[in-house]
Amino acid sequence: MTDISTHPASFRDPAGFVFAVDGVIYRQVNLAYAKQYEHLTSSGLYAKLTGEGLLIPHTESNDNLVLSPDHYKTLLPEQLSRLSYPAEWCPEQLKDAALLTLMIQRLAMANGMSLKDATPFNIQFVNGQPILIDTLSLELYDHTKPWIAYRQFCECFLFPLYIHRYAQTGTAKIAAAWPGGIPAVVTARLLPWKSRLNAGAWLHVFLQNRVTSRKSPIDEQHLKFSKAKLDNLIDHLGSTISRLSIKANASSAWSNYYDETILGKEYLTAKQQLFRQYLDGIRFADALDLGCNDGYFSKILAGTDASVIAVDSDWPCLDRLYREHIPNILPLCVDLANPTPATGFRNAERASFTDRAASDLVVALALIHHLALVNNIPFGLIADYFGQLAKKYLIVEYVPLSDPKANDLIARRQSPVADYDPQHFELAFSRNFEIENKAPIAGSERVLYLLKKRTT
Amino acid sequence: MHVLFLYIDPGSGSYLVQVIIAAVLGGAFWIKRFWRKIKSFFTRGKKET
Repeated sequence: MTDISTHPASFRDPAGFVFAVDGVIYRQVNLAYAKQYEHLTSSGLYAKLTGEGLLIPHTESNDNLVLSPDHYKTLLPEQLSRLSYPAEWCPEQLKDAALLTLMIQRLAMANGMSLKDATPFNIQFVNGQPILIDTLSLELYDHTKPWIAYRQFCECFLFPLYIHRYAQTGTAKIAAAWPGGIPAVVTARLLPWKSRLNAGAWLHVFLQNRVTSRKSPIDEQHLKFSKAKLDNLIDHLGSTISRLSIKANASSAWSNYYDETILGKEYLTAKQQLFRQYLDGIRFADALDLGCNDGYFSKILAGTDASVIAVDSDWPCLDRLYREHIPNILPLCVDLANPTPATGFRNAERASFTDRAASDLVVALALIHHLALVNNIPFGLIADYFGQLAKKYLIVEYVPLSDPKANDLIARRQSPVADYDPQHFELAFSRNFEIENKAPIAGSERVLYLLKKRTT
Repeated sequence: MHVLFLYIDPGSGSYLVQVIIAAVLGGAFWIKRFWRKIKSFFTRGKKET
């Protein structure tokens, strides 16, 4: 039987909705959006946006697959295999998504259209670049009106970037705490006084806060605007964001892990050789690199043409990896001790990290001691979670307590570490996996395992 | 009748703030142009001497 379901996040926009038929994603265009949709194609805007890789391409059909009375067209968009959300993006990703939104708005205005919303949830990363996935976001442009999505754009893109610029917080946690965008009033309180000297912050944060918190609102529908003014405003937002310095002030905790590691070159060379040897013996279409650091091993994985999600909680590392724009690597800022939950209405609009990240191969290098010793997660639970994420294989590095890095982590511990030894490690993982290969890594006391998931 | 779908709330004051920012940006543009004229007047003067 055909399985048809409306996407649980697709209920707000009267222009249409997203649904799935046997796992294939479609988008219905409603009759209410017919005029706008025809303008999008006839003006050449759709061709321009898809031609430049700014908007997801689709094929169009007249089949009313869900027998909807509002049906105008059915679109079959290019299918996405990996979904991510702003609560998982590093600052560079949010910045690029912001600039993409403005670029689309500029092109749209030149073709008689305008974005009716500006939320990062309409953007996904494909081939190392952001792309707009909501084809129905464009409405007919009324030259006499300001931008309806201006406030949303500021709250979802500009304000998190400003807070990050001054507080070096990364943007993922801001987006997680404020999924609908962080309001101007909160941003104004969080930014330091010196940010007022920045023209962009003064105009878009402090002035906006002053104007929007006025007690007696005026009738804004009669305010006159022009295309030239909106062009100026969009250009100003663009130059403000382009120039916003979002790089890390100091090197992060992990940014030099493989450069300056006390473990040395011999260890890294040996680990890399073993890793490549393990990869040669297995087949996988996608991979998940947990605790990817600067992406050294993610890039080796990407070299096999697999689609790779590179996960770390350290945003400066991910910023650097993202800036390389490697087509088959999706860097995501996720803390594995607290991965992204399912969010939105009914907790159903956006799936959890765990539900989205499952891959043929899971890689966890130099990670296990952090989860076990810093977060106090027992080997058994770590093994269960990796078993949930790995569809076929797991490459995991065992780091003994005698290792200098592990030693650093337990130096200030009061209580002894229980059940942290190779026997307990292997026993814990043997419930979900069987050992395919295991070898000590030269230059260290660590062991690299290739585990195969048990089929139950 | 033109039906406007207010699918997202532009937010109270959001239009007014754009009008003000556009005015500030427009003003800044004229000041920059004026300043450039003054500067070029003096630099031109300098070259001639």
